[in-house]
Amino acid sequence: MSTTTPTPAPTPPPTVDAGTGSRGGAPTTPRPSRPGRPALSTLLLVLRRIGTALLTVLLASFLVFFAVQALPGDVAQQLLGQDATPDAVAALRETLGLDQNVWARYGEWLLGASHGDFGVSLVSGAPVGPDLLIAFRNSMLIAVPALLVGVAVSLTLGVIAGVRRGRPSDHAISLISLIVMSVPEFMVATILVLLFAVAIPIFPAVVLRGDSATVAELLPSVWLPAIVLTLAMAAYIVRTARSSTIDVMASEFVTTAELKGLTTRQVVWRHAVPSALLPTLTVVALNVAWLLGGVVVVENVFNYPGMGKLMLESVFNRDLPTIQAIAVVSALVYVVCNLAADLIALALDPRLRTRRKARS
Amino acid sequence: MTPIVPDHPRLRDSREGSRDGDSRGPSRRTVLTGAAGLAGLAGLLTLAGCAPARSTPTIPEAAATGTAKRGGRLRIARPAASAAETLDSASSLSAYEYLGALYNRLVKLDEQGVTVPDLAEEWSATPDGITWTFRLRSGVRFHDGRRFTAADAIYSIEHILDPETASPQGEVLAAMIGPGSMSAPDPLTLRIELLTANAEFPSLLTAYQCYIIPEGSADPANGPTIGTTGIGTGPFRLSGFEPAGTGSIEAYDDHFAGRPALDGIDFFSIQDTTARVNALLAGQIDLISQTNLDFATAQVVSASSTATVARSANAQWYTIPMLHTSAEFSDPLVRQAMKLAYDPQAIVDTALQGTGTAGWDNPVPPTQAVWLDEQRAYDPEQARALLKKAGREGLRTEIFTSSYESVFTPMAVAYRDQVREAGIDLVVRNASSDSYYTQIWMQKPLMVSYWFTGRPIDQLLNQIFRTGSSYNESAWSNPTFDALLDDARAEMDDARRATLYQDAQRLIVDDAADMTPMFGDRLVGIGRDVVNYREYGFEFDYLQIGLRA
Repeated sequence: MSTTTPTPAPTPPPTVDAGTGSRGGAPTTPRPSRPGRPALSTLLLVLRRIGTALLTVLLASFLVFFAVQALPGDVAQQLLGQDATPDAVAALRETLGLDQNVWARYGEWLLGASHGDFGVSLVSGAPVGPDLLIAFRNSMLIAVPALLVGVAVSLTLGVIAGVRRGRPSDHAISLISLIVMSVPEFMVATILVLLFAVAIPIFPAVVLRGDSATVAELLPSVWLPAIVLTLAMAAYIVRTARSSTIDVMASEFVTTAELKGLTTRQVVWRHAVPSALLPTLTVVALNVAWLLGGVVVVENVFNYPGMGKLMLESVFNRDLPTIQAIAVVSALVYVVCNLAADLIALALDPRLRTRRKARS
Repeated sequence: MTPIVPDHPRLRDSREGSRDGDSRGPSRRTVLTGAAGLAGLAGLLTLAGCAPARSTPTIPEAAATGTAKRGGRLRIARPAASAAETLDSASSLSAYEYLGALYNRLVKLDEQGVTVPDLAEEWSATPDGITWTFRLRSGVRFHDGRRFTAADAIYSIEHILDPETASPQGEVLAAMIGPGSMSAPDPLTLRIELLTANAEFPSLLTAYQCYIIPEGSADPANGPTIGTTGIGTGPFRLSGFEPAGTGSIEAYDDHFAGRPALDGIDFFSIQDTTARVNALLAGQIDLISQTNLDFATAQVVSASSTATVARSANAQWYTIPMLHTSAEFSDPLVRQAMKLAYDPQAIVDTALQGTGTAGWDNPVPPTQAVWLDEQRAYDPEQARALLKKAGREGLRTEIFTSSYESVFTPMAVAYRDQVREAGIDLVVRNASSDSYYTQIWMQKPLMVSYWFTGRPIDQLLNQIFRTGSSYNESAWSNPTFDALLDDARAEMDDARRATLYQDAQRLIVDDAADMTPMFGDRLVGIGRDVVNYREYGFEFDYLQIGLRA
């Protein structure tokens, strides 16, 4: 238990390896807690992180609301069409409350949104909340399996590639992930559809029933979009996991472990992998958020009634309440994922662990 | 070509491009998927053994005909108009595909653009062209069993005229029908006293907003309205409808023209063009409505074993409006030079790859009975001389295009290349498809545009070319032309009226500011089992279409 000089920390590289592309930002390096009151300072850190998260969501809601208000094209004009008389447009503006003070509207909307009331769709006239919930559930139906399978498989592959750096298996994994990463997901989607819905018809190409499809009806259609998302996401994680594994494997504590006489398997899974996970976590968190936004393209190709499709349709219709609700929910998911990643990183950090042990 | 659109005049096509996934018009993504994706993958398909091993699949000329088996259900994928779409044909948000199956009009257009009977068996007018009498078909019943009478016809037209309905055809008819204009001397006779003479009045009732609905059916006080019940006299009756969702219709055994070949049709809303094509290739649907496939996609579709391509001939009317109010194009010599300088056939060959007909600046398609069979000259030297005379030698300006429609940019580029020989130097500018019809259309001096064909001649000329009309996309104004249109409306003799319309076409070719390089065929994706698909203008043959026996 070296307390004076902490174990050479598995310092994650300041920026993600150039090969991983631009999606991963700098991983959050957990700050070492001050000696003396480690638990309290950790708690403070966590609280501050949660506070920042809440503030981010609030800021996002603010930006969303005002960005949407600044959309080109008047909602009233858009709804009524080019031939609407100015009187009709003015009347509709009034019914929609578009003539009220923008700050008052923001306050009202925020209050409603805080307990799930996102107002009424300008197009269908139905409340936004329930529709959004269904779309969110549908998106989760493809995003969660994609995430679970994608993360598990790609972490494994990434670590294997990192440990076997320079060997044929590393080359194969790196090359394939580079190719998958370079092909846009709509292309992957099209290829999969042509292969597994047209040439060998085992899956449906699109969801025909649209918004009214039940979970059972959606199940056969979930696979292809989930595979597309998995592939699109996996490549990034493979490359991040590989590069951080390489870094960790080169660090002194791994050398120490090796010199202690541990088997390679023990060194890798007990010492190297937990440290290598740290920078990868951030990439995973960013990918979760991307899943929600990136599904737009994928969902449209499959006519899949999820959040991405709902978003596109509401943008087209200038359906402000729906756009705002989707943007805020996406921001919320994004922030929650990053928060979770940071907290898990805190928990995984060996320095924190050793201190807690030292105290007890 | 449709009169008016929910959000603008492209009409029905606005939906096709516009609602397709991204914004309006095929986005770069769609184009990429369509062109690179599908075309590139044609080889893949061949490898996978599901396509005939042809290296360059050609696009079929006509839909398959043959004996349809009795029964069967057709599955149609459609881009929904809006989440607020309705079965009320008068509305600008009508669910277009359902209308022709559920309802009938008093009159419809045949392929030559001639007004022919539908619910009205015959009609006549007083010699002054003011009083029109329609004799209605007897023994026709609505889907709910009620008998169709003149009262239903009057109610339907009044519903279109009602300002509350805000029907796109309302303004057109309101100029001719006032309050109390319509009467029913007996249950099967409809009499209309026009406000002004119009020899072509019946043709204005062929618009797809003019379907006949039961009396009182649009009034919410009487229970669910026509917007959700869809009760008409058409060959199919409604069995389910969700706005922007799925719907289905069933054969109506008591239809006056006989039972349709099919048992029913199921409609599915798919907004993304690529997704509609994928569904067709995978055999999940049998027909894609309101979608003009791009060439790469059309080739992949026609090479597949499940689907093929049918054509709706001359369905897209492509135009190049020159703004009459702009400095350069207010000069008739310059307008003439812009026309003489190009060969429309060359544009058909490049931009449409031959799937269309050269227009020679006449907006009337050659299939129409009143078409003027005269071809203007193609003479770049003369064009150069005219420009010199106008003091605009080496005219240099911009031509605007966008990805709103897949043919726009190829057409703009082909036109630019054509007029270069006359010393005209055009720079092609690509504008955002989102705002193309709000920021560019009717504002920039030179751009490319399109309409759907299918308007009757009187409506076509009055709506797109008459001085001050809101759809006069070139802002052209010519008093002689306007007078010709008035004369035609007052001329009750069919032959003499046709001559007047031909004079009007000649004047458009000579002087108008809206050029018509060509009419494009709509490339429609249909399943290989579909027979007797026939569609022209806004007419779709729901009676004959069926599945192969």
